[in-house]
Amino acid sequence: MQRKLPLILVLALIPQCSWAHLVSTRFGEFYAGMLHPVLALNHLLPWLALALLAGLQPVESARRNLLLFPLAVATGTVLGCLFPESSLISQVNLLAFFSLGLLVTLALRLHQSLFTAVALVFGVIEGYGNGTLDVFGTGFLLYVAGVTVAAYIVMTITSAAANWISGHQQWGSIAVRALGSWIMAAGILYSGFLILPALQS
Amino acid sequence: MKYLALKQHTTKWTLTLTLLTMAGTASAHTETGVAGGLISGFLHPLFGLDHLIAMVAVGLWGAQLERPAIWLLPITFPAVMAVGGLLGVAGVALPGIEIGIALSALALGTMVATNARPPLWIAAVLVGFFAVFHGHAHGAELPTAANPLAYGVGFITCTGLLHLSGILLGTLTRWPAGRQAIRGLGGLIAALGAYFSAAAFGLIA
Repeated sequence: MQRKLPLILVLALIPQCSWAHLVSTRFGEFYAGMLHPVLALNHLLPWLALALLAGLQPVESARRNLLLFPLAVATGTVLGCLFPESSLISQVNLLAFFSLGLLVTLALRLHQSLFTAVALVFGVIEGYGNGTLDVFGTGFLLYVAGVTVAAYIVMTITSAAANWISGHQQWGSIAVRALGSWIMAAGILYSGFLILPALQS
Repeated sequence: MKYLALKQHTTKWTLTLTLLTMAGTASAHTETGVAGGLISGFLHPLFGLDHLIAMVAVGLWGAQLERPAIWLLPITFPAVMAVGGLLGVAGVALPGIEIGIALSALALGTMVATNARPPLWIAAVLVGFFAVFHGHAHGAELPTAANPLAYGVGFITCTGLLHLSGILLGTLTRWPAGRQAIRGLGGLIAALGAYFSAAAFGLIA
């Protein structure tokens, strides 16, 4: 292992460019759907915030979220693919960006039904934001499946890590809350960047 | 012996070939993709010594004050910094930005150097007050970034990691010699802050 470590470090130090839209690589609609939310920060950060929040909830809530959030995302993605994009949904999405970060920062333990409702509403909105009109037939199903799998993977890994670290390390819950404050700060700035020019004009 | 030499030779060739197959994209124009976003946002606090020392001082002071300040101050800073950033994004002029940033290093460094222990709310207000200036300086540049969200995430992440560096350095306060070393570091930050303040007021070139 020690002999392999330098090679692993060298590989880790050589990041490559990545794009949210696979126009040049053509990996197929499944991977396009899977990578779209993961490579776009405006989707990824609120997902991470919800996952961190799930990690701070009782285990039953977090486990239920692993099933419900991907289903909500799938529903939203189908809606987003079938109907034109709504600017209202984008603005609600911005609000979720900030408010989920705030909930993590405060480390609020929500009632199970309330947390489930938050996850479902946010999942549908986020899925809608990932919808695209460019997929048809089998490609449509593959794209929706890709986004759904990404939602499951992000939610499972991040919420499990947040749950473990906040439960097993003395500094764990502080670290999770600090990450929440970073996401909240990014949400405030990004919302301001998008909304303030419109208000000023 | 011969086997070992052969194995080392093979490892070097493997490494060389691996590196050769990982050629990166070359862009004719800089600031493309997220280069004008995440990376430039991340580097902004790092390459500005006045930003850097003030943010490390927040972590050091938090570590000196212990719980709950150790987590409250680093969480307060990015949140209030984002509000300052909003003012910058909106184009709201804030007087004395550079002076505020320089004074933040002077004030926070002094707090660490003197091991000041004010009530928690005073520490939070002080840190939050200076965070507005840092946020405004970053936020003013955000609308011109190639990827504004990535730029914001970059400088927020870097800010948080600088706080973390301060907190990790601050763990030295567990030992008597470490406590003195941290206070000395605070003194150095305050001295640099005094220099930046003098420069911001135009007292030195």
